[in-house]
Amino acid sequence: MRVNMAKNEKKNDISNLSFEQAIKELTGIVNKIEQGEIPLQDSLEQYEKGMALIKHCKGILQKAEARIEKISLDSEDRKQETEGSI
Amino acid sequence: MQRKTSSVKIYTVSEINGLIKEVLENSLPSRLTVSGQITDWKLHHSGHCYFSLKDENSVLPCVIWRSNFEDVKFKPESGLAVLAVGSIELYVPHGRYKFIVDELIPAGVGALQLAFEQMVKKLRAEGLFDEAHKKPIPRYPERIGILTSESGAALHDITHSIWTRWPCVKLFLYPVPVQGDGAAEQIAAAIRDLNQRNKKLRLDVLIVGRGGGSQDDLWEFNKEVLARAIYDSQIPIISAVGHEVDVTVADLVADARASTPTKAGEEAVPDMQEVLADLSNKENRLWHKMKGRVELAGQSLETTLASAVFRNPLLMVRNRELDLDELCVTLSDSVKNAVARAKESLHWAYEQIVRIEPHRLLAGRMLGLNELRNRTVAAMKAVFNNRQIQLTAMANRLAGLNPKSVLGRGYSITMKKQTHSVLRSLAEIEVGDSLITELAGENFVESQVTKK
Repeated sequence: MRVNMAKNEKKNDISNLSFEQAIKELTGIVNKIEQGEIPLQDSLEQYEKGMALIKHCKGILQKAEARIEKISLDSEDRKQETEGSI
Repeated sequence: MQRKTSSVKIYTVSEINGLIKEVLENSLPSRLTVSGQITDWKLHHSGHCYFSLKDENSVLPCVIWRSNFEDVKFKPESGLAVLAVGSIELYVPHGRYKFIVDELIPAGVGALQLAFEQMVKKLRAEGLFDEAHKKPIPRYPERIGILTSESGAALHDITHSIWTRWPCVKLFLYPVPVQGDGAAEQIAAAIRDLNQRNKKLRLDVLIVGRGGGSQDDLWEFNKEVLARAIYDSQIPIISAVGHEVDVTVADLVADARASTPTKAGEEAVPDMQEVLADLSNKENRLWHKMKGRVELAGQSLETTLASAVFRNPLLMVRNRELDLDELCVTLSDSVKNAVARAKESLHWAYEQIVRIEPHRLLAGRMLGLNELRNRTVAAMKAVFNNRQIQLTAMANRLAGLNPKSVLGRGYSITMKKQTHSVLRSLAEIEVGDSLITELAGENFVESQVTKK
């Protein structure tokens, strides 16, 4: 039960990463595995994490909204901000 | 001598000056352009500027009224060669004429260009263009703010260039005027506004831009107020102003410059295709490397399984059994040896003892013992006999002393019956007491005292 929970937590951690953070972690993992200084068990875990990160990054890239939101000095928009809609 | 009534006209000072003024102003074109070098430039606190124009031989006093000076875009200073446009006027009360200038044009370089160069020099000296101050543009921005005209072509160029490269980014438009008076102030205010609200807005980078135009059209992007707002911005700013050849002060202050709005995308966001290729590349590297490692691990396992230990696991046990047997043999051998040695020493001891001929010694001792015994017995017998004799003698003596022996001679013993005590005197008895008399042979007679 505990192992499954840990896996889910990991997934949530990754899905909260920004693209920049994810790429950084991914680069680190690839380097670590390529250098080979890491024990087999750990490398399997890291490999899994790396694949999850790649999936996450690709997911971010696929999201294209292609629209612009307008903001200005309007007090109307300021109100919207405090309500957290931007 | 006669006093002539002459027709010589006598003028007052004012009249003369007034005449000169008329002549001067009528004979000269109402507007002149004069070329010369500025000297004695003085900005009066009233806002009017007093100066002179000179050439090698002559000096012309000038003034620019404050209202006209405001239109002068560059900073006039002594030594600058200019074209001055205006009109000559004579101020009657002072009797002096001045060239009233309403337009100053720097000779050689255009006014705007000169003003631009002066502004660049000034701001560079203050460090506004320093590389060290420029903030890095985030590599993978998620939210970008665009400051440009809502209706201009630049907006489309910017958004298109961004979306073709990196469609996953969110764009925000903050409409601003991009030319005309006050545009610089409004853009500056917009930048400050966005900075203030950025905790909520979370913009990663701003793009300030407009399409191409003349130096005049772009002039607002050279204004100091905008430059300072860009310098002070905490959010990194990319400037995307005009065409490639147009460089504005804003371009120099900004953290990055896109030479035109269409190039804004290249500065602001990465190329998605490149990033996808990089991701695929990483994916492959990971996969191949892992495959390699797993294969290697598998090989190493196989090698281990193929080794003698796994092929013939009992080998070790057999070897140990052999060792054990050998040890057992060694053990029993050594025990046997020990026993044999013990036997030997025992035998040797026996021999030693035999050599001593203990039986002979014993026999000898036995003789001696017997002798002693015999002597002891004899001695004991002798002693016993002795004692026996002594005893007999004593017994005889005693028997002789036995008081009861006299009884045989007729004597008797008289006792009181009550006490069985021997009578020795009359006092011991009374008349009537019973008496026992013992005669020889243990015979007793009982009697009574009748008289004493």
